[in-house]
Amino acid sequence: MKKIIVMIALLVGSSAFSFTVKDSISAFTFQRLAMMEDFDCDACGCSASGGSMGFGSMLNNNFVGLRYLKQSYTSRDGIFANSPWIDENFNTIQAWARIPVTDKIQISALVPYHFNERKLTAGTENIEGLGDITVMALYTVFETKKDSTFFTHKINLGGGVKLPTGKFKEANNLGSVNQSFQLGTGSWDFPVISEYVIKHKNLGLNTTLNYIFKTENSKNYQYGDQFNYAGTFFYLFDLKSVQIVPQAGLAGEVYQTNKQYSLDLPNTAGDILFSKFGVEAGKDKFSVGLNMMLPINQNLSSGNMEANYRWSVNLNYTL
Amino acid sequence: MKNTLYKAFAVVAISIAISSCSNDDNKNDVSGSGSLVLEYDNGFGANDLILNTQGNTTSNNEVLKISLVKYIISNVVLTKADGTIFTYPKSKSYFIADESSADGHEFKLTDIPAGDYVKVKYGIGVDEEQWKLGAAGQGDFLAKANDAGMLWSWAAGYKFFALEGTFTSPTVTTPTPFMIHTGKTGTDYNYTEVTLDLPTKALVRTTITPTIHFKIDLSKVIDGTNKIKLSDNNAGGMGAMIMGGANLPLITQNISAMFKVDHVHND
Repeated sequence: MKKIIVMIALLVGSSAFSFTVKDSISAFTFQRLAMMEDFDCDACGCSASGGSMGFGSMLNNNFVGLRYLKQSYTSRDGIFANSPWIDENFNTIQAWARIPVTDKIQISALVPYHFNERKLTAGTENIEGLGDITVMALYTVFETKKDSTFFTHKINLGGGVKLPTGKFKEANNLGSVNQSFQLGTGSWDFPVISEYVIKHKNLGLNTTLNYIFKTENSKNYQYGDQFNYAGTFFYLFDLKSVQIVPQAGLAGEVYQTNKQYSLDLPNTAGDILFSKFGVEAGKDKFSVGLNMMLPINQNLSSGNMEANYRWSVNLNYTL
Repeated sequence: MKNTLYKAFAVVAISIAISSCSNDDNKNDVSGSGSLVLEYDNGFGANDLILNTQGNTTSNNEVLKISLVKYIISNVVLTKADGTIFTYPKSKSYFIADESSADGHEFKLTDIPAGDYVKVKYGIGVDEEQWKLGAAGQGDFLAKANDAGMLWSWAAGYKFFALEGTFTSPTVTTPTPFMIHTGKTGTDYNYTEVTLDLPTKALVRTTITPTIHFKIDLSKVIDGTNKIKLSDNNAGGMGAMIMGGANLPLITQNISAMFKVDHVHND
């Protein structure tokens, strides 16, 4: 695990400093940066509901990227007030790509690989493997074409499918611990998303709303539908050779109750509100980003689970 | 490029179509029989019970350190959503819950008709009818109860519930032993039953073995509807021994209220 982090750090480092400066129009645009983090992971683990879609919103741009995401949770292992709290660490490396089909339609794909661990009283448990692959299409409904307007607007709508490529094991849901210690939901899930970006000169606000319809998996388990929302302010510092985009905002997630054999499972619904902040830097064909999310308010699994933090680092390359 | 994309979509679409009809759940197959697990998780108040070391405080400011918890679970009756009642065969329906023993927490009931169960009923102790069958009529359970220390003598009968440890109180400052044993007395039989609704249906199937997870609040034993002070039963400072008398029916009534279904797993 450490090796991977080091490798990413090296990649990030080299991309930021080793390329010669050319005073040309960078392939990097700040719309994309702003969108990077907006579809972040689920409170109950990426693994489970695979909501970390991270679809960028840049038009007419091909890119591939890599992101490392770390999520830390603490969950109660048992049904009593003095039941032990255990640490859960969800680590994800995800590859993503975005390909425009027409001027207004883009296809995105996201392939996560998870390394998750939880420190149960009985010993540490690890799961590792491919997560749920998401494929989505985005359509630009409206975009301000003129540069001269005071505000520019852009609206994207999209939808897609999350494939059950991550393993769902019933055994991981036994007992009274977090029901999301899984590599995937095991089900075909269907996200619909909307994005709205409003900008004035270098300052912008990006708003996203998305909803993931989740279906019953082959083990008759069904994760609750999920609603994600986020609003992020960003500002573009367009320096000679690099662009730097600091960003800050709020992001929230609301989970419906999970079901098993169509029966509601108690203490599986919840909601959480995060503050988020980060910075992205772009240079030539590369961009790197660092992001952090800290909970402001949360009520997950009737208080039996707490999100501590999430952070991510990513590297993108424009094709 | 576009062609490849369309192909990729076609593959996705076809696989959705195929997989979405392939996996019909086995929950609709309500034939045959299955098993059900009763899981007893002992606590004191809101907390999990930790034997010997944990001080448990009652509303009378008595602090109990508990060293032993045992009780007999018996005569399990399950009710289906449609009202059908299934009585678990009496010959198999006696279990000893024991906090300190690995096999004293979960009891697996087998050969239960498949169905959606919504209610469970069981006794604490051994019913009088069974006891009246005489020693010979008890089967293996007599020896089992004897080994577990849940039998006084054949004539005196079974111990239905046992709670032991030490306590301190505002008036008893040095840790003093206590023992609470329920069972029949000259005046009362003290067998009791509890009936609990299940918050989630227990789906007994050939392929699904539900677990009913009970949360037991042992504080209720002396600090329930009826409040009993151990210090009032500490005759001569030799320890509070409650094994008979007027307190037993009160404790029996308390015991019947200490069980709660926390949740049901259908795994």
